[in-house]
Amino acid sequence: MIGYLTQVIRALAFVFIALLLCSIIFEFAGFSAPLMFQSIAEGAFMSTRAWQNSLRWGLPLFLTALGVVISFRCGFFNIGAQGQFYMGAIAATFVVDGLNGQPAFIVIPLTFAAGILGGAVWAAWPGILRVRSGTDEVITTLMGNFIAGLLLIYVTSGPLKDPSGTGQAASSRPVGELYRISAGNSLSPTIIVICVLVGVAMWVLVNRTSFGVLSSLAGRNPIMVVWQGAKLSRLGLVGFVIGGGLAGLAGTIEVLGPIGRLSSGMLPTHGFTAILIALVANLSVMATAFVAVFFGGLAAAGLYLPVLAGLPAAAIDIINAAIALFITARTWPKRLTGLLRVRRETT
Amino acid sequence: MTSSSALALACRDITVNFGDVTALSDVSVGFAEGLIHAVVGQNGAGKTTFARVAAGIVRPDSGSVEIEGQNVPLGNVGRARAAGIELVHQSFALPPSFTVAEAMEYGAEGGRTIYARGAMERRWMRHLEMLGVQVGPRERVRDLPVETQQAVEIARALVTDARILILDEPTAVLSPSGIDNLFARLKVMQENGVTIILILHKIREVLAVADTVTVLRGGKLVEGPIATDATDAAQLSASIIGSSVAGDISETDREALVGAAEESDTDEPITAETKDAPAILDIRNITTRQDAEGPALDKVALRVGRGEIVGVAGVEGNGQRTLVRALSHLADIVSGNIELAGTDVTRTPLSSRRANGLRVIPFERNSEGLSLSSALWENWAARTLLLGGSLKLINPAQLKKTCFDTLNRWGVRFSSPSQPAGSLSGGNAQKLILAREIDDDATLIIAAQPTRGLDVGATAFVWRALREARARGCGILLISSDLDELFDISDRIVVMLSGRINGEFSRPFHLADIGTAMTGADR
Repeated sequence: MIGYLTQVIRALAFVFIALLLCSIIFEFAGFSAPLMFQSIAEGAFMSTRAWQNSLRWGLPLFLTALGVVISFRCGFFNIGAQGQFYMGAIAATFVVDGLNGQPAFIVIPLTFAAGILGGAVWAAWPGILRVRSGTDEVITTLMGNFIAGLLLIYVTSGPLKDPSGTGQAASSRPVGELYRISAGNSLSPTIIVICVLVGVAMWVLVNRTSFGVLSSLAGRNPIMVVWQGAKLSRLGLVGFVIGGGLAGLAGTIEVLGPIGRLSSGMLPTHGFTAILIALVANLSVMATAFVAVFFGGLAAAGLYLPVLAGLPAAAIDIINAAIALFITARTWPKRLTGLLRVRRETT
Repeated sequence: MTSSSALALACRDITVNFGDVTALSDVSVGFAEGLIHAVVGQNGAGKTTFARVAAGIVRPDSGSVEIEGQNVPLGNVGRARAAGIELVHQSFALPPSFTVAEAMEYGAEGGRTIYARGAMERRWMRHLEMLGVQVGPRERVRDLPVETQQAVEIARALVTDARILILDEPTAVLSPSGIDNLFARLKVMQENGVTIILILHKIREVLAVADTVTVLRGGKLVEGPIATDATDAAQLSASIIGSSVAGDISETDREALVGAAEESDTDEPITAETKDAPAILDIRNITTRQDAEGPALDKVALRVGRGEIVGVAGVEGNGQRTLVRALSHLADIVSGNIELAGTDVTRTPLSSRRANGLRVIPFERNSEGLSLSSALWENWAARTLLLGGSLKLINPAQLKKTCFDTLNRWGVRFSSPSQPAGSLSGGNAQKLILAREIDDDATLIIAAQPTRGLDVGATAFVWRALREARARGCGILLISSDLDELFDISDRIVVMLSGRINGEFSRPFHLADIGTAMTGADR
């Protein structure tokens, strides 16, 4: 526990260094670094409104990041959270759109089921390829992201296209008010409850079940668990499917909640930020919750940057990228060696 | 140490620290020219570190190295080689995909950019023939038997006109007859004026070949070099083992530990009626496909009774790994059956074999046996956790406590069940594996090289644990490349050669018979 804590603190220190570095660059580019920090603070954490915004962005990220945590802990580098998030959102939209007019107590659960299933299926095929034939899951899940992104463009401008839509981005019809789980484009107690429940369930799974211990052993040394008689393929596949399902759940929440519809190009960096969160949190469920809210805060602050600091909203992407650089520089080598070991054993 | 004869190699006050561990402490020793010297000691005594310091691979924290009276810069392989010292490593350093001629050319001098294959091959063949190594220049290193690989490696070391040749545990991979051949070759080299330093850990070998012997223990020089004529096995074994642990270890164990046992000493059977014991493991003519880690098994038939230790001898790489993998459901079985306590388990996954009492202590402690970055309690609990369903709820605090008690009972030195397994020493890590694999429900224990790399105390501990398991009625299949170990604790020994069982022996064991079976000389 202490070990985890120091590691998380170290990771947060890296985040801070990244922020500092960005502020220096922005300063040289003619913007004001103190104003940047101020706008991040105000946009993310300095008021109730800011906190609500941070949670609005942070909670879906938390779910997706939890999925990443689960599959990374099993030793599989599933970087397809973005695609799984999209497929969950697409599947959910099909159901909620197709059942339009039916009672909410039927539609909403079915929509959630479809969304989770959509994400899980999108994680399952790279998972099956991985455990059956040793296909590199980094490549397949990455490709899956592109396929899902293109599919999103197709369905929003084809089968699910909103005929009355005039906006620049193609999108589906708005989800009927009856089926929304939050009012307008903000947070709701329902979303918080879902996230807390899922968070607790995943914490139990990781910290209080055989699966948690075995998957962590498998993630660190797959050869050892094979010699203990574990089925690596089953452990890994479960990790993939849970990871995809959680990303799909996050997609469903966005469709039924804050965004309220499916739109092409929605939240294009969601899944990658989630990976970042999982790595900063050092694959701990508890830490993931805090880190997710912090990154949600950064996302919320993205709206304040242009207003207060005169920075383009894309500055938040630059900051995220800088953090990614620091975190991955810290984490990659160990991950890589782990992966190489897995590969040798299964091929 | 006599000052009359010139010293080929003199080391003064060598101290080497690896982190907190002192590998060598103030070792001063000089080796006279033209003799065969042995450096002995148990695992972890600092023998290999000493060899590496002399060869310039390890830079000592303090001390000096002189070769033929000249001070050599420390930690500089190039300068040490130029001064005439060559080290033949424990695990050979020849590139496996090279041909013999290529390995000689590039291993020795770094090679030329442009060469004529024919000329290169002729050149090296002359050299190899001179040394009496029978090998074709175009054979790939990986296709050679270990003994030939070692011979080529030694030949490679001699290319540069080495005046001093250090061999680190050269006998570890050889069969008894291979050892005899090596020693004969070394004597020829000695006659040609090469000073030879052998790192060994068997007293029998020391007495057979060396002119002087130097004993290291715990990184310190105990004695030496003393003439081998002036000492004997008992004296040497006492100084190798030291007095601190000696009391716990029986006479025959002690002899087995230092490789001093005469064959006659092990004649008396340890257990009386193992012959009629009901079989706990019955392997019926299994044949496997070529395995990732060794040759295929060819109609291997083997039986282990309850309360019996069956030793598997053989030069490494003759199918012992495949056998263990086949028993662990990791190798592809083409034909034949494996029966565990009367039940056919040929197609049964490892998890249910384990549920039926099979336990495996795998070859590679640090990769197959433990997850080094995971906590002790996780490593320890893995076996029992796999018995239940994945979603079974666990209580980590309770598991940690049980783990704490169990590891204490097994004498593991640790501070917390949450510390990573990688923080344990080799002996303690192996005890952790024993604590996991030797439980009350175990009926058949596969112990693959369970004492490799362990010091005397830990080795004796492992033997005791295996004997206790036998006393409880467990069947034990012990795979080892150390014949002394097998002779000491096995009730029966089978010898593997090229994936086949090439002979089965009951007590009394005779080194000559088993050695012959290991090399297949009778075929």
